[in-house]
Amino acid sequence: MAELKKEDLLKAYRTMKEIRDFEERVHKEFATGKIPGFVHLYAGEEAVATGVCMHLTDEDRITSTHRGHGHCIAKGVDIIGMMAEIYGKKTGSCCGKGGSMHIADLEKGMLGANGIVGAGGPLGCGAALAAKFKGKGGVAVVFFGDGASNQGTILESMNLANIWNLPVIFLAENNGYAESTGVKYNVPTPNIADRAAGFNMPGVTVDGNDFFAVYEAANEAIKRAREGGGPTLLECKTNRFYGHFEGDAMTYKAPGEVKRQREECDCLKIFAAKATASGLVTAAELEAIDKEVAALIDEAVEKALAAPTPTEADLLTDVYVSY
Amino acid sequence: MHSTKPSIGIIANPLSGRDVRRLVTKASVFQNAEKSNMVLRMLGVLGKLGVDEVFMLPDVSGIASRVIHALRHGRAAEASSLPRVSFLEMPIRDSAADSLKATELMKAMGVSVIIVMGGDGTHRVVASASGDTPLLTLSTGTNNVFPEIREATITGLAAGLIASGKVRVKDVTSRNKVVRCEVNGNRRDMALVDLAVSTECWIGARALWEASCLKELFISFAEPDAIGLSSIAALIHPVYRSDAYGLRLVVAPPGEGFMTVQAPIAPGVMAPVSVAEICEIRPKEVFRVETSRGTIALDGEREIEFSENDVVKVWLEMDGPVTVDVNKVMQQAAKNKVLVQQHEG
Repeated sequence: MAELKKEDLLKAYRTMKEIRDFEERVHKEFATGKIPGFVHLYAGEEAVATGVCMHLTDEDRITSTHRGHGHCIAKGVDIIGMMAEIYGKKTGSCCGKGGSMHIADLEKGMLGANGIVGAGGPLGCGAALAAKFKGKGGVAVVFFGDGASNQGTILESMNLANIWNLPVIFLAENNGYAESTGVKYNVPTPNIADRAAGFNMPGVTVDGNDFFAVYEAANEAIKRAREGGGPTLLECKTNRFYGHFEGDAMTYKAPGEVKRQREECDCLKIFAAKATASGLVTAAELEAIDKEVAALIDEAVEKALAAPTPTEADLLTDVYVSY
Repeated sequence: MHSTKPSIGIIANPLSGRDVRRLVTKASVFQNAEKSNMVLRMLGVLGKLGVDEVFMLPDVSGIASRVIHALRHGRAAEASSLPRVSFLEMPIRDSAADSLKATELMKAMGVSVIIVMGGDGTHRVVASASGDTPLLTLSTGTNNVFPEIREATITGLAAGLIASGKVRVKDVTSRNKVVRCEVNGNRRDMALVDLAVSTECWIGARALWEASCLKELFISFAEPDAIGLSSIAALIHPVYRSDAYGLRLVVAPPGEGFMTVQAPIAPGVMAPVSVAEICEIRPKEVFRVETSRGTIALDGEREIEFSENDVVKVWLEMDGPVTVDVNKVMQQAAKNKVLVQQHEG
C-alpha cells in the first residue's frame, strides 16, 4: 500500500483546498454576471481528482467532463490561466476561446474539459493507445460521471480498452445525479463498478469523500495499468455541493441534503481531521496553506478581471494544431 | 410484533463484493443477479416446508426488484406453495446501517432464523444485533471465513426445516466466539474471526492485502483451510469454532521471528509472515494493543484509526452470534427421515 509522507499530505490538502476555493469563488463571481457561458462546479468532489492525479506525471493523460475545473487543478494546470480562461480573457489557458468547459493544457497531460457527456472515453482510449505504443509506462485516466456511465461512448470505450488491453483507468465520479436525474433511477446496478464484470476487468467502488480510499485504490489501478495489466473501472461515490450548473435551483434534491453533505461528508473536513489526528501534520500547517490558497485565488480573479479579451484578429488563430 | 406462523428473514447485502480486493487480490465479482437467483432458489424450498412468510431488506439496487418480478411473472409465480415475501418498512441508506436495522426488525418480529448473504463484513454487522436469533450464513464472495460457501437451495432447506420445527433448533445451533475491542473505554466493535493491528495509518480502501503492515493478530478461530489473516495462525496452531479459547499472534519483521509461515492471506496471495510470538488467549483476558499508531482491521477490513494518544484493548468473548450448522440439520433430517414418505406394501 502506498505510504503517504508529511509532504504528500500537505500537497493533497493544498490541491483540494485550491479546488474548493476556486469553485467557491467562481460561484460568487458568476453571480456578478461578468463570467460568460456556463460553469459546472466541482465543490464536494475534490478528493477524487486529487487522490487520482497525485499518482500521475505530466506524461500521463487525463480526459475530463463539463465539470472539469477540479481535474485541471489536480493535474497541475495553472490556476491564474484557468480563471482568466473562465472569464474569456486572452491570458487564459486557451487564450480565452474555450471557457470553463474547454480548459485544456496538453503540456500537463490535461486533454480538456468537455461539453459532450461521455466524450472523454474514446479520447482516453486514444491517449492510452499512444502510451502503449510508446512503451514508457504512461497511462490515461478517463473521468466521467454517473450520467455518462450510460452513454454508448463510455461503454464502447470500455469494450475497446479491454480488447486492446489499454493502460486506461475509467474513473466514475458518481455524485448521485445525472444533471437532475437520480442515479438509482437511471443505473440498474447499485454500483457503476458492477458493469466492469461485463468487460472482464476489475470493478472497484470506494468512498469518494475519503481521499485516502481514493488514493489507495487509484494507486493500485494505475500501477496495474503501468505494468501492462490493463484497464480498471474505479468508482468513487461522492457529492456535489452546487447544482448541475450555476443557476440550477436543485429542486430534485431533498431539503437539507446539501447541508447534511457539507456537514457530514465534506472531503476537506474529513481529510483535515484524519491528517491532524495522525500527528503527521498540524492544524497550523493546514491554516498556513488556507491563507496561501486564498491569496492565490484573489490574485487569479484580479488578474482575470484586468486581462484583455481576445480581439477580432485572434478569431482565426489556434484553429488547427500541427503534430 | 411477533409472527405466529413460521417466518424467516433474508438479508442479502447488495453492496458486498466491490471493494479493492477485486483489484489487488483477484477476488471475484459477485453479481447481484446471482444473489436474486439464490433468494429465489431458497424460496422454492421454503414454501414446501411450511414457511409462511419471508422478510427481506427493501433494497433499491436490484435484488428485491428481481425477486418481486420473478414472483409475479416468472416460473416461480406458477408455484402455489411459495411463502409470502414481505419487504421491511425502513429507510435505505445504502450502508451497513441497512443490514443492522433489518436485523433488529427481524429479531423483533420473532423470525425463526435469519439467512445472511454477504461477506465477513456483512455477517459482522448482522451478528452485532442478532442476539439469540440463529443465523444461516452464506458467502457471496471468495475471501470469507465466517460464512459458508454452499448452494443456497440447501441453506433454504435447512432454514425451512428449523422454522417448521422438523429439526430442533437446539440440536443444530451453537454460539460463536468473537474478538471484541474498545478504544479509550468507549468505542466498541468486534470481529467474528480475526482482529488485526496494522501499521497502516488510514482506513483508506479498507482491505489489508500486504503482510508487511501487520503487527498483531487476535483470532477467535483459525481453521487450516481458511483464506485470509486467520490462516497465518491456523497453519501453526489450529483453533476451531467450538474451542473455548482463541489465539494471539505477534508478527516480527521479516526473518526476525522464531518461525516464518507461508500463508494465503488473501485470494491468490501467499505471503511469508515472520512470527515473534503465538499464544492461546482465554475469554475476557484483556490485551492492550502494543502498536502506537495504525489501524484496527476487523475480519480483514480496516475499520478503526488510532494514534499514540489512544488506548486500544482487545479480548475474546464467548457471547457471539448463534449460527446453524447446515450439515447437522441435514444429518438430523436424514436420521429422522423428515423428508421421507413411506409407502405401504
